[in-house]
Amino acid sequence: MTDTGARTTYEEDVVDLLLAQHARIEQLFLLVIGGTGDIRREAFDDLVKLLAAHETAEEEVVHPLARGLPGGGGDAMVDERLAEERQAKETLRTLVAGGVDAEGFETGIILLRDAVLTHARYEERHEFPRLRQHVPAEQLRGLAAAVRAAEATAPTRPHPGAQSATANLAMGPALAVIDRIRDAVRKPSEGKR
Amino acid sequence: MFNPLDHKGLPLESQIRNWRELNVEPIDPEAVDPYTRCRIITMNGIEVEAINFQHQFARNCPDQEVRRQLAYVRYVESQQQRVVNWLLPGVASVLETTLGYEQVAVDLTAWVARHEPDPYLKQAYEFGVLEDFDHLYRYANLYEMVERRKAEKIVDGLTEVMPGRPTVQEHRHPFDEVRTPYDRNSVDPRSKLNALTILSAEQQVMFYYMNVGPQYMEPIARQLYQEISLIEQEHVTHYESLVDPGETWWERLLTHEYNECWLYYSFQQQESDPRIKAVWELHLQMELAHLQQAADLLRRHDGREPEEIVGSAGLPEPLTFEPNKEYLRHLLATQIDLTKLGEGYVREAHERFEWMQQQVHDGQQPPSEQVIDLHRDRFGDEYRIETEGPHPVAGLRARGGSHD
Repeated sequence: MTDTGARTTYEEDVVDLLLAQHARIEQLFLLVIGGTGDIRREAFDDLVKLLAAHETAEEEVVHPLARGLPGGGGDAMVDERLAEERQAKETLRTLVAGGVDAEGFETGIILLRDAVLTHARYEERHEFPRLRQHVPAEQLRGLAAAVRAAEATAPTRPHPGAQSATANLAMGPALAVIDRIRDAVRKPSEGKR
Repeated sequence: MFNPLDHKGLPLESQIRNWRELNVEPIDPEAVDPYTRCRIITMNGIEVEAINFQHQFARNCPDQEVRRQLAYVRYVESQQQRVVNWLLPGVASVLETTLGYEQVAVDLTAWVARHEPDPYLKQAYEFGVLEDFDHLYRYANLYEMVERRKAEKIVDGLTEVMPGRPTVQEHRHPFDEVRTPYDRNSVDPRSKLNALTILSAEQQVMFYYMNVGPQYMEPIARQLYQEISLIEQEHVTHYESLVDPGETWWERLLTHEYNECWLYYSFQQQESDPRIKAVWELHLQMELAHLQQAADLLRRHDGREPEEIVGSAGLPEPLTFEPNKEYLRHLLATQIDLTKLGEGYVREAHERFEWMQQQVHDGQQPPSEQVIDLHRDRFGDEYRIETEGPHPVAGLRARGGSHD
């Protein structure tokens, strides 16, 4: 393609977007686990929101698409991923409720990190390649736009005045993000059916 | 200095591991010291060479009793390789392990180049390291494109990421890869260990790339692995030709075992992870017994003492994983435009070099160049980690910026 000299501008698809989120999630885990005080608190707030948005996008987009594709583990594999996500959500809920200063946070956050990152790698190895192989590129790009638009309407970092009230955060803003993403991604994908 | 020839090690009959002992807990990729990963990758390459060498030896050995002895130790070495390589975590991607391989190739070769006493051999390492340095940069750009992550996550600022001798320039005529071997009778024993170590590491890189490359779906990833794996094969030719082909099988076996002792001894000294340190300590004790067996075979079949092969001074200075940034920048500034002709090094693009370039490139852009262009298209710049300032070669500074 480089031989022709004429290149089209590269447009991210939903897999690129989810990969970038995986990378960001890894970085936030590093900040939470390695950080202290406000750095840890802020990173944890960001992590909670990003995880909520990310898992919702995957539940609404990736897994339903992957379920119908040939050549994979089919329902069983998707169900495994969903079970992992449910488990991670439980751990996350406990951590959010207790806050970063709670006893057991150190252990809990490592458990959560291992679960989330292992889950992410499974997707990268088994689901994402099949999406790219079987789903039209245009559709994957359209889904990226939908997920991005939904996320953009919610700040991923709390405003300075409203920061750090982890009790406040307890799933409130995160749930709002989830709703927006659901709305945004359901519309185009339902339209195509 | 520690002399492995003075130690008996762990009795051979106590060296077979059971399933529980083989089932090692991998390192945590999110918290590992990058140089712990490097030590694991290095020792895997060393054990793979030990296995392959002993298979070749067995195929060339008519003595059934020796073949049985080799088979036993080879089985133990195989279990050692399984333990060492299985320390790598399943959650790491192929490209992440690849970045680890290139970090090894850079910092291991740079250390050996700095410590090699023979000037001709030193030149061979200085020449080679600038090429692996370039591979790290190409794969780092691929990594960000394919996995959306930054190589910083793997190399952690210990090794810089920027162009070396451009991979496009590394495709030389195979005739020019063949070096002059050292003389086994007069060479410093340290040089034998250096050559075997780098040869083993590069050989493992070649095996890895030529096998994992096709697992990728992305065309640029498949093509880049294909290209760089061919350079790694050149490197194997380059380094293996440094070794005196007149060494007897018995002599080579002894050098292999002695080298394993040197490396496990080195790594147990510097290992930051106590659990991994215990593996290096155990393996050193196992290798000491393999060395005893090799020494006995040498005495019996070659009529020589092991000291005649590896000296009597004990192990050389421990091989160390450490940053080599200044040294590499010096090499970049002074040797970037070297190529090879015959058994030496030249600066001009000679006829045979041009012929090979024409055959391979044939007017097309190689994947190693495409990967940087594609990265620029997608991200507007290229990926580099330049912690010590701009690239020492003005012509290799980033066009239109870079980020890390």
